[in-house]
Amino acid sequence: MKNYSESDRGNEMAVQGIWSGTISFSLVAIPVQLVKAVEPGRVSFRLLHSKDYSPLQRRMFCPEEDKEVPPEEIIRGYEIGPDKYILITDEELESVSPERSRTIEIVEFIDLKEVDPIYYDHPYYLVPSKGGEKAYRLLVEAMRRTNKAGLAKFVLGEREYLVAVKSTEGVLSLITLHYRNEILSDEDISPKEEKIDDEEKGRMKRSIKKMIADFNPEKYADGRRKKIVALLKKKVKEAAPVQAPEIEEEAAEGPADLIAALQESMRKVKKSR
Amino acid sequence: MSRKVVEVSGRRLSLSNLEKDLYPSYGFTKAHILEYYRRIAKFILPHLKDRALTLKRYPEGVEKDFFFEKRCPSHRPAWLKTAKIPRDNEEVMTVCLVNDLETLIWVENLASVELHVPLARAGSPETPDSMVFDLDPGDRANILDCAKVALILLELLSGLGLASYVKTSGKKGLHVYVPLNRKETTFEDTKKFSKAVAIIMQKNYPDLVTAKMAKEYRKGRVFINWSQNDSSKTMICVYSLRARERPVVSFPLGWKELEGLAGQGDPEKLLVIQSEAVRRAEKQGDLFREVLVKKQKLPHLGDR
Repeated sequence: MKNYSESDRGNEMAVQGIWSGTISFSLVAIPVQLVKAVEPGRVSFRLLHSKDYSPLQRRMFCPEEDKEVPPEEIIRGYEIGPDKYILITDEELESVSPERSRTIEIVEFIDLKEVDPIYYDHPYYLVPSKGGEKAYRLLVEAMRRTNKAGLAKFVLGEREYLVAVKSTEGVLSLITLHYRNEILSDEDISPKEEKIDDEEKGRMKRSIKKMIADFNPEKYADGRRKKIVALLKKKVKEAAPVQAPEIEEEAAEGPADLIAALQESMRKVKKSR
Repeated sequence: MSRKVVEVSGRRLSLSNLEKDLYPSYGFTKAHILEYYRRIAKFILPHLKDRALTLKRYPEGVEKDFFFEKRCPSHRPAWLKTAKIPRDNEEVMTVCLVNDLETLIWVENLASVELHVPLARAGSPETPDSMVFDLDPGDRANILDCAKVALILLELLSGLGLASYVKTSGKKGLHVYVPLNRKETTFEDTKKFSKAVAIIMQKNYPDLVTAKMAKEYRKGRVFINWSQNDSSKTMICVYSLRARERPVVSFPLGWKELEGLAGQGDPEKLLVIQSEAVRRAEKQGDLFREVLVKKQKLPHLGDR
């Protein structure tokens, strides 16, 4: 959890659960919150209009009519061939969506070593909610000792995920896993077998051995991100930022008649006070 | 699960978990909630009538998770009145209409502590029968600041010949309603009008009011949320309980009363708890009655 609150973007992220409910198996039920475990370090930029520095918006556009399409005219289609679509309504989608789950029900305990990292989708932390601290600590400890991870099904957003719950340095983490059918085949990747002599095998092994180290993530950092952040810091010192124009919400105040009547009434209000 | 079968207006209702403490910090069980709604029914029912109810359910009590339910639950009894309302594209959604005591009790048995309804009736979802100003205090502002804003709004609107009515939100803010009850007035009209009012309020009282949703503008000010004037939005119904530590009610106030309370400088006095709500409603009648019947036309919007 240390990295979580002390990350360099920490001030932007109060611990706010993405989901709250209970994690359970057999007779155990622990109230928990799901929070982010990673914050991608990508530096993102806004797109501006070069003439007035207005931040740009994306709009939906119909090329046929050459005009913008309002939200109420936007529907979904599944493409089955060139220019051919099957229409799907929100209601139809809703009818096949799983119900929001309030529990992460562990169905099996597995050895996570058996799960190839190719199955790992996205990591989260589980934070104990009020009253669940003791059971949480017990589960963390038991999972650490047995070196086992809990396998569960769990609905987040619209999707049902297969997840692994494991103990990581005193806390529970949850990793969403890919389903089997999402993993692409590796059949054609492996080259045909050829005879390799022992000398070659030995050389490869020795080369690897020479480079063996403990995994130490602090050693590595995203070089481009570092340089961008340094560049931004330098630019902030050098020059004032450009200013986007105040959004002219006030300009579109309403019909002139109404504005005049409101101003008149407001004058009287202020006089009487 | 404990169950108790009761008869309400000839309908048999099976009530569950009556002893469950849904306001644990205060000690107010589901039975207490049902009793509150039974006693307030004659005041709240006219305001719920024919409106698509959004249930806000607290199955584990007000200090735990809640969920909104716009669709009328499919396990509803056959006699329960519903409406089909359009949604986005040619879709319809079945909603509960709380038109009688038995439905109100059934809904409350689902721990729907808060009752939220749109500004339009289900039969005419695009026709608001009132315009609302949702006064929401930002950080470091409170309900007394809302009271100041409401009292200025009262005068400003009255200068345009419009009567308005005020209720507490039951949380931190106040809601000012302008009855319309005309089939010609649309949400487009109420949005245009309320936005113009919010902007002129912000211009004239920049330290007290903001018309902007963004948090940075709301600090120390009252946000006049005019965008509630929309067919897709709902408001907490007058006389509904709110889910906070204590069973506080969204309750109508007289303007003179609000002025008096604002002068006393105690925000707590603007909170009406359930027992007081029943007592006061029975004594003074429905202060929000006019919101349902008074016909008013929004002036200066063209010739509609």
